[in-house]
Amino acid sequence: MAEVQPTRMELIKLRRRIKMATRGHALLKMKRDGLIMEFRQLLEEAKEVISGMVEKYKKAQQKLTLAIAVDGIVAVKSIALSCCQIQPEFSMKRKNIMGVVVPVIKREPVRKKATERGYGILSTSMRVDEAVEAYEELVDAILEVAEIETTLRKLIEEIERTKRRVNALEYRVIPTMEELAKFIAFKLEEMDRENIIRLKKLKTKKAAT
Amino acid sequence: MISRTKAAYAYIVARTKVMKSRLLKGEDFRKLLNMSFDEIVRFLEETEYRKEIDEIGYRYSGPRLLDYALASNLAKTYRKILQVSFGDAKILIREYLKRWDVWNIINIIRGKNAGVQPELMEETIVPAGEFSEEYLKSLMVKEMDEIVKEMEGTPYYEALSKIGSVPMNVVEDEMYKAYYRKIVEMPAREFETKLFVNFIKMEIDIRNIKTILRLKIDGASTEEILERIIPGGYELTEDEARKLAAMSFDEISKSLEGYWFWKEVENVTEELSEIEVNFDKAWISAIARRASNYPLSVLPVLQYMVLKKVEVDNLRILGWGKYYGLPNDEIERQMVII
Repeated sequence: MAEVQPTRMELIKLRRRIKMATRGHALLKMKRDGLIMEFRQLLEEAKEVISGMVEKYKKAQQKLTLAIAVDGIVAVKSIALSCCQIQPEFSMKRKNIMGVVVPVIKREPVRKKATERGYGILSTSMRVDEAVEAYEELVDAILEVAEIETTLRKLIEEIERTKRRVNALEYRVIPTMEELAKFIAFKLEEMDRENIIRLKKLKTKKAAT
Repeated sequence: MISRTKAAYAYIVARTKVMKSRLLKGEDFRKLLNMSFDEIVRFLEETEYRKEIDEIGYRYSGPRLLDYALASNLAKTYRKILQVSFGDAKILIREYLKRWDVWNIINIIRGKNAGVQPELMEETIVPAGEFSEEYLKSLMVKEMDEIVKEMEGTPYYEALSKIGSVPMNVVEDEMYKAYYRKIVEMPAREFETKLFVNFIKMEIDIRNIKTILRLKIDGASTEEILERIIPGGYELTEDEARKLAAMSFDEISKSLEGYWFWKEVENVTEELSEIEVNFDKAWISAIARRASNYPLSVLPVLQYMVLKKVEVDNLRILGWGKYYGLPNDEIERQMVII
């Protein structure tokens, strides 16, 4: 506080900065509230998508168990290995949610025809098809969850960051600047009073002589 | 006077009838459905599966124990039928059992491709065909090209020699086609052989219609479906199959009217495994009818062999399903309970 020059210019500058900080604080608060609202909406969507994925996982496990029971563990294992060579295809794009850049995953459905899957139709049962289809759907669901989860994570990070800024402005920056402005104003008043007294004394001296 | 052939069948049929009486009934499966996995294994230890479970109980546990025990018992049962049969019946049964050679070779090749341990492959083989257990075990440790070379002179060599140049699914399907082709082309001079060939042709019908519906649901083209059709069906000839393959799923289910398997599969759904179970039931009913029409033929023996396979499949589904906590109704839906 001592380093600040208690000048009128400094006070004007400081008041300008306080005004800007207050406006920034209000804006950041609005941004935080907006992000929280967006987050809540996405959270509901995420809950649905995640529970859908869990359901698909359970279904896939169930179908896999049946495929193993009917076609044998070696058949299913080799089929799984031949299917693993199929990489899920997707492209990444960006979307802006209140200044937060989030990914948009454009998924190509992981679907292969039974005749392209690397196992014989005559040597396997339909349970294998069902298991493979169930896992293909699961891969789709995982990609969907990945997209929404990344968005949520980025939003949380941004909410945290905004919250920290709002708090810093509200409890640290603005009060410090206001304190400083108060100090400068007080100093300026003090200097004014000193000047008045000095002038009064000079006037008295002059009158005496 | 009873002919020599009839006498031979009378003996084999009598033996299989006794074996058939030991098969688990529908109510047994319903009882097993309400048991836990351990209780099922305990129940099976009081049946003819006891020996196999005891033999490998120290090595395996859980559903893998069941897998191995069931496969061993199935192979043992089939070998026993082959042992008690003689004459023409033996030839026909041996031909029928060669399907297990195809199954075993495919499993070994899949295992090799997937890089699984020979021990795991051993669990899935059913040495009931021409190739002995020792021979199959020796194949498991060989390289792929050595396995193919070993198959030289068998009907499967042509298909196996394509490994590497065509996808594995084509090789697998070609092997089954080779198996069926050999039986369908058998000279059916004798009535027994004719009955056997017709039985296999009916099985081809079932397999073909399953393939058509399976690939139709999957959205395969007519050509892709036709590539998977086994030639030589009983009613579902290649031309019929071509006609059906070109139709939509709904049209197919309407067009099935009139085929011998129609009655049992009247209400075809789009649930794949349900279709399969319905067709299996249709197949078993048809075999039962034909076996009762020709009681002193190879048909009652084949009927028992099919029923034994169904029993083993049901127990496997039950075991895995129970072990992994599948709901009872789902397990029951997957089982072929007559």
